[in-house]
Amino acid sequence: MELTDADLITRVLVDDDHHAFGELVRRHQSAVRGLLRQLTRTDLALADDLSQETFIRAYKHIRSFRGEARFSTWLHRIAYNCFREDARRRKELVGIDDQQLQAEHDPQTADAGLRHDLMHALSLLPLPERTAVLLCCQNGVSHDEAARILDIPLGTVKTNVLRGREKLKKTLAAWGPN
Amino acid sequence: MEAMNQEDSLDRQLREAASYIEDDGFTARVLRQLPAPRQRGRSARPVILIGMSLLASAVAYVLSDGGRFVVVGITRLTVLPSLWIFLLALGAGILVMTGGLVAAMSKTSELRS
Repeated sequence: MELTDADLITRVLVDDDHHAFGELVRRHQSAVRGLLRQLTRTDLALADDLSQETFIRAYKHIRSFRGEARFSTWLHRIAYNCFREDARRRKELVGIDDQQLQAEHDPQTADAGLRHDLMHALSLLPLPERTAVLLCCQNGVSHDEAARILDIPLGTVKTNVLRGREKLKKTLAAWGPN
Repeated sequence: MEAMNQEDSLDRQLREAASYIEDDGFTARVLRQLPAPRQRGRSARPVILIGMSLLASAVAYVLSDGGRFVVVGITRLTVLPSLWIFLLALGAGILVMTGGLVAAMSKTSELRS
């Protein structure tokens, strides 16, 4: 029988079991790395560095996980905090801003295919909308959980999801009705 | 209804676009960076501390003539005016409460980080 996340967390807490934590990493790495790849606008190296930082931080602070939310929600929150801290640091270092980052992506270079266009359109959304759409629409996180992860009011999450979806639909309108 | 279908289809496309990312040694890299597992001996620390405290108390009791100082202290306390006892209790309460608050605040900031 497969162990649940809660069983594995208990093993980490009680026995400091690295194998159990490894299993948790294996289970959640795809979702965390996927989220960070989108947040970093497909900068794979940076996304993987931040993903590693996320799991190491999760390991160090696993005692503060009280099981009130799903483990994946807690991980997403840590991942988002890692991303935010890194973005703040980089902004301080090189003075890049959101508009500059957006300008680096020329829509003309978008690859063919709906999947690529969709991911590209997603990467062009402003950060709050992109994060909300990624969490709620792509990762199946509820609005309540997203509000907890992003530490913003529930209403703001709903607005960001709605705006993000509208922009995505507009960008993808060329593909016609599905 | 059509709008709802469109929304469902967008969610589906988004989920499909996010293909599964193969581990490719990611988990191994994370595990290599974890702090070394706790030493088993560390779990004996509380037992050793409590044992040492009990031993020290026993030695202090024997050396202080069967804890006579405790009896003397209590006798002195009973002859104090009620107001003094009240103030002592209040002071002790405030001290314990401050300690609790400091511990709670440091724990909260640790959890936030």
